[in-house]
Amino acid sequence: MKDEVRTETDLKKRYSAGVMKYANMGYWEPDYQPKDTDVLTMFRITPQDGVDAIEAAAAVAGESSTATWTVVWTDRLTACEKYRAKAYRVDPVPNSPGEYFAYIAYDLDLFEPGSISNLTASIIGNVFGFKPLKALRLEDMRFPVAYVKTFQGPATGIVVERERLNAYGRPLLGATVKPKLGLSGRNYGRVVYEALAGGLDFTKDDENINSQPFMHWRDRFLYCMEAVNRASAATGEVKGTYLNVTAGTMEEMYERAEFAKSLGSVIIMIDLVIGYTAIQSMAKWARANDMILHLHRAGHSTYTRQRSHGVSFRVIAKWMRLAGVDHLHAGTVVGKLEGDPATTKGYYDIFREEYNPTALENGIFFDQDWASLNKMMPVASGGIHAGQMHQLLTYLGEDVVLQFGGGTIGHPHGIQAGATANRVALEAMVFARNSGRDIWNEGEDILRDAARTCTPLKQALDTWKGVTFDYASTDAPDFAPTPEVSM
Amino acid sequence: MTDDRTLPTSKRPETVDLAASFEQSGVREILAELDDSMIGLAPVKQRIKETAALLLVDKARRQMGLATETPTLHMSFTGNPGTGKTTVALKMADLLRRLGYVRKGHLVTVTRDDLVGQYIGHTAPKTKEVLKKAMGGVLFIDEAYYLYRPENERDYGQEAIEILLQVMENNRDDLVVILAGYGDRMDRFFEANPGFRSRIAHHIEFPDYSDDELFDISEIMLNEQNYAFDPAAREAMAEYVSLRRDQSHFANARSIRNALDRARLRQANRLFNEAGGPVDAKMLSTITEADLRVSRVFQGGLDSDSKDQARQSAQRGAQ
Amino acid sequence: MKLRQGQFSFLPDLTDDDIRTQAQYAIDNGWAVSVEYTDDPHPRNVYWEMWGHPMFDNKDAAAVVFEVNECRKEHGSKYIRVLAFDATHGWESIRMMFIVNRPTEEPGFRVVRQEVEGRNMRYTIESYAAREPEGARY
Repeated sequence: MKDEVRTETDLKKRYSAGVMKYANMGYWEPDYQPKDTDVLTMFRITPQDGVDAIEAAAAVAGESSTATWTVVWTDRLTACEKYRAKAYRVDPVPNSPGEYFAYIAYDLDLFEPGSISNLTASIIGNVFGFKPLKALRLEDMRFPVAYVKTFQGPATGIVVERERLNAYGRPLLGATVKPKLGLSGRNYGRVVYEALAGGLDFTKDDENINSQPFMHWRDRFLYCMEAVNRASAATGEVKGTYLNVTAGTMEEMYERAEFAKSLGSVIIMIDLVIGYTAIQSMAKWARANDMILHLHRAGHSTYTRQRSHGVSFRVIAKWMRLAGVDHLHAGTVVGKLEGDPATTKGYYDIFREEYNPTALENGIFFDQDWASLNKMMPVASGGIHAGQMHQLLTYLGEDVVLQFGGGTIGHPHGIQAGATANRVALEAMVFARNSGRDIWNEGEDILRDAARTCTPLKQALDTWKGVTFDYASTDAPDFAPTPEVSM
Repeated sequence: MTDDRTLPTSKRPETVDLAASFEQSGVREILAELDDSMIGLAPVKQRIKETAALLLVDKARRQMGLATETPTLHMSFTGNPGTGKTTVALKMADLLRRLGYVRKGHLVTVTRDDLVGQYIGHTAPKTKEVLKKAMGGVLFIDEAYYLYRPENERDYGQEAIEILLQVMENNRDDLVVILAGYGDRMDRFFEANPGFRSRIAHHIEFPDYSDDELFDISEIMLNEQNYAFDPAAREAMAEYVSLRRDQSHFANARSIRNALDRARLRQANRLFNEAGGPVDAKMLSTITEADLRVSRVFQGGLDSDSKDQARQSAQRGAQ
Repeated sequence: MKLRQGQFSFLPDLTDDDIRTQAQYAIDNGWAVSVEYTDDPHPRNVYWEMWGHPMFDNKDAAAVVFEVNECRKEHGSKYIRVLAFDATHGWESIRMMFIVNRPTEEPGFRVVRQEVEGRNMRYTIESYAAREPEGARY
């Protein structure tokens, strides 16, 4: 069927006024060999009944690049062949009738260097509301090295973050201060102190802790930094608390970030909802001010969760690595929030590897060379506790921040005890793994042994024994792993 | 090594199947390999079998709680050059690993120059560096007696000896030291350094190879490189072996290897100069009488090129 | 006060056998292991004294235990740590760090607050031990 659709080559016919199929306008080129310098995308398209998949793919290519709904003669004033995005491959989605994977190539000149906003305005700007499609999802993107190099990348990166924190060889530990809302600055700082003194590396503001009547931002920053420094002195470790500088305007964000810096904080935080330009600005500020930049992916599920429509989180992760954040939440697999193991592995690889080979079983559709851009630290947060330490270490590896909010603050013997329980469980598990033990199968024994010399851990294990969140994922990969790659 | 040594009384086995552990540890395999791959050396092989048996029994005794100490495993290998000391040391390292007496089983071969420094403060770090590299395996010190130079009071060798002795005593779990060299010189070395004598449990003497054994070795060496003697060359080689033994710088198997290296060189030249047409595989892999007879060994000796010879064998010794 | 730096400071003190196992993990990953000591354990004191160079060519971690014990002979009253360096491109930094020796008494740190304009505060952390001159601290 693919060979039947051909670009209209008679220029007179091609540019005569009227409406024409996108596939005939040159947005479908089945023979096209993508160039190393092209930006590539892969969309999952669900055409309306009666709409041909190739025409739908060509329409997506057209609407995300040069086309409009009708033929315009002014195209002929440009090197329009070059600027047209080219759909070059359409495959039916396995086991999903009516859905297709459409591969589209974009010339590098279509994009402004170093601008996620420009990139996204093209790729997801108009096309998601396009009527001939029931649904559309951006599954993956490939950025050419030439384009990657126009971005700063993570302000600090995993390696330098570890060097600054003087913490190596184990996941970092964090906790979000709870309750999310209502604590006064003074009470809030108490939670920070207890958690850090008990053994966590970080505490964290929640995404909607900004500057509200119960606690204004300066107050929070001052009390938190008192807590951070006290905890640092109590343990001899570098400690941090993600001070959320999210605000209504860039000016206010810079003001808050500057204040955090003046108090000696090692890390600040922003929310995804501030927008791509604001994120890039804060990343530049963080690089210039030796600050680790934590990004909370507030709001992402509105467009990442549904399998048929929106933008996959792996694409958001790629944009954020380019944009330059250091920390980004990426799922826990075992916790309370969405996360299939194979898909989550794909996200983690995008965060942490220098090169991502195509891995359909992990939802990675393109080879991606990161051109020595810094690595992003994934953050695992939401419904995890010390009793899952062996699973967390197996699934997520070593370069990750494990955030035990409830699992720290909800400990029956207090926040310090909760923090200590988590840290002991973590160190015991890393120690056992390095000693060659099979932590996946012996994890519970290892934790029980560690609990013999650590009462807080014993209490934690008893309290959260068997708490799991075992729901089917809404975003599992479309390709089952072949036996060779399955674990 | 800690696995069976620390078994609590309740977990100790009541009986031990020596034959089974002989099989399972792979010791049988390695002894067979030693038998197959090395010509002659009957007394050496016998001593190694005895040592293996001793170590197996010792392991069993520790499992039963009858012994607790790691036995002393340091050894001396004495014999003339080219009698297979390094090769046997490699096998010994493997044997010790399979028996669980060393963790990695690698062999680090050194001579005095690797251990002793040139100036004050140089020797200790140098010796320690070598010892650390050998940990988990076997340290083979060739011509160990050169460490001791009584004629020079301030010789840094003494410093190396002290560190060696200390580590041989304190880190018995971590490495095994084999001292190697000529028998008579080693005897004098032990007399002057009783510390070594008391720390070395196993003395193994490597006899010279007989003429027949050396001839067999020459055939095996050639076969390994896909060469063969023709009938006249076999006779010439047998004659070469008995002549070579009485000449200077005789180094057993090493002399044979050198002779074959030169024979291959001559064969190549012969083929290059004489072959008029194409040469076949057989011609390319046959050593003829002429390739051997040219050797000065047949003209009464190697004295005229003994310098070269000495240098070559020194280089090989260091390898 | 117990200094909590490193990977295993919340576990019971490591035995020589524990040190060997962990160092062997590093060696098996291709990392070079080194030993460092200090009498100034400030959290931002990056450069502890090196007890020799990282061990690039040792196959067996007994070498690390050997050096730890050599270091203990001279600096047994101080902090000693073991580090593993990974030279792989994209990392080229430390992969492991754990404390293997600590003073019997650990006096800890104090927070020095300098109150400045408004309610602002400048914080400094000082090691109690580091108030004594080098060599007389532990």
